[in-house]
Amino acid sequence: MKKIETFAGVFKARGVERRDFLKFCSLISVSLGLAPALVPRIVHAMEHKPRIPVLWLHGLECTCCTESFIRSSHPIAADMILNMISLDYDDTLNAAAGHQFEEIRKQIMEEYKGKYILAVEGNAPLKDNGVYCMVGGQSFTSMLKETAENAMAVISWGSCASFGCVQNAKPNPTGAVPIHKIIKNKPIVNVPGCPPIAEVMTGVITHLLTFGKLPELDRLNRPKAFYGTRIHDKCYRRPFFDAGMFVENFDDEGTRKGWCLYKMGCKGPTTYNSCSTIMWNEGTSFPIKSGHPCIGCSEPGFWDNGPFYTRLAEVPFVASDSGADKVGMYAVGAAAAGMAVHAVGTAIKKAKNDSDSNPTQEG
Amino acid sequence: MANVNLVKERYIWRLPVRIYHWINAILVSILFLTGLYFASPLFSAPQGGEATWYHGMAWLRYIHLSSAYLFFANFIFRMYWALFGGDKYARFGGFKPWKFKWWGKPFKEQMASYLFLTSKEPHYMGHNPVAAIMYFIFVLCGSIIMIITGFALYSENNPGGFLAVLFGWVIPLVGSSYNLHSIHHLTAWLFPVFFITHIYAVVRHDIVDRTSVTSSMITGYKVELEE
Repeated sequence: MKKIETFAGVFKARGVERRDFLKFCSLISVSLGLAPALVPRIVHAMEHKPRIPVLWLHGLECTCCTESFIRSSHPIAADMILNMISLDYDDTLNAAAGHQFEEIRKQIMEEYKGKYILAVEGNAPLKDNGVYCMVGGQSFTSMLKETAENAMAVISWGSCASFGCVQNAKPNPTGAVPIHKIIKNKPIVNVPGCPPIAEVMTGVITHLLTFGKLPELDRLNRPKAFYGTRIHDKCYRRPFFDAGMFVENFDDEGTRKGWCLYKMGCKGPTTYNSCSTIMWNEGTSFPIKSGHPCIGCSEPGFWDNGPFYTRLAEVPFVASDSGADKVGMYAVGAAAAGMAVHAVGTAIKKAKNDSDSNPTQEG
Repeated sequence: MANVNLVKERYIWRLPVRIYHWINAILVSILFLTGLYFASPLFSAPQGGEATWYHGMAWLRYIHLSSAYLFFANFIFRMYWALFGGDKYARFGGFKPWKFKWWGKPFKEQMASYLFLTSKEPHYMGHNPVAAIMYFIFVLCGSIIMIITGFALYSENNPGGFLAVLFGWVIPLVGSSYNLHSIHHLTAWLFPVFFITHIYAVVRHDIVDRTSVTSSMITGYKVELEE
């Protein structure tokens, strides 16, 4: 009989203290926004549930999601997660390679039909039969469809897989599309960000393992727990916004004093993510805390929204270099010019009519 | 024209219409200016001092949001008046631009007059067909777009709240929060374009037809003409 591998087994074998394990479970429950009463459930799931096989595919991407994932802040979190799930297939992290490696993927798909998770990093180019991304002689698009066929759920890691990111920015030469445009019949969770925050990634996986289903999702299929609010609404610099104290350029007094970066093109007001609460690199910092405006990397189409350092610089669906104010001023200018011309026309017509109809009237 | 007789004064714009008009004019001005300002704030608070001492942006935001609610209420009131008011000159009545017939003779004649293709100046006691289509595009459609995108933007503050349930669908519809901001901002510019056109048309009509249309929005009375 095949031995079912649980987290507890791996955990003991690695000599990690139970105390540290429980700390991790609490941390995850907090970041998922779960009640403390659910912590034992997480512990129980981790100790008793069989490890879920995860097939982690890499399409058109830059591996920043993987880099983020393996740097999860809690000292043992990454280690735990990587052991808790059975990461059976991941081009970047696995030691195996070549045909043998592809065999593993096929084997898992057979053995764990409907029980494995498909994690996708990057997206798929559809143009020219998908030749712009080939894996082991197969187009990534067909590999993705094949692997998704028997998956329990699909996780779209990063902005590429969720929304398209730089690959499908205009003019999108390879015809890249996000995963949800290809896989329609599976539960999909989008975990956008370029990359997503490591704790967000581990949080999503933990939720899947504990409850056997995806976390609660918003209208763009993002987990509400992490993408529920805008950066702006939980930004520690928000009081400076409300006061109207702005950084005007990157070497002024406001910069030194850490004022609001709104006028430097900060995309915080239009970006949903947890950067301003969970932060990055073991909770050390996040872009705004380091004095740089948010570039909105977890938002759909963020590459097409104009320069990073100008606020609402472009109206993406109008044209490039088309700020709303610019378009508006032109429209107002055109209206004013049109009215002026019309006024002249009216004056001429009136003068003509008056002289035509009343030639004898007093002057 | 010069040889028209001023027959008599007629009561055209009833009080609800005039009240709506001026409240709307004031609120749209406030909304446009405050919105433009906090989209790209010109001034910064004085150097030095605590952020908690100043509330410039917060106040502007408050003014914008509370004006928006009043604007919405005023708009609903006008819609009620247009649908159920039974006011001959202020209801939708014969305004049916989706019907081919509506674009027939009256519209063409009025358009020809505006384009100087005819010397005739058609007279209407209420809105002429070209004016009606302008109000439809700029005031009715413009206001509806601003109200929907505006509430959707406001709902972003409180995810899962009342407004988010009602208007949250707008964000996936337009693609992203950024697009939503852009649409709201771009549509806002309809109002100054309308303002210029509207003021011009009113003044022009007053000079050309002498129906005292300008003061009619205060007194309610227009002058009936006879050729």
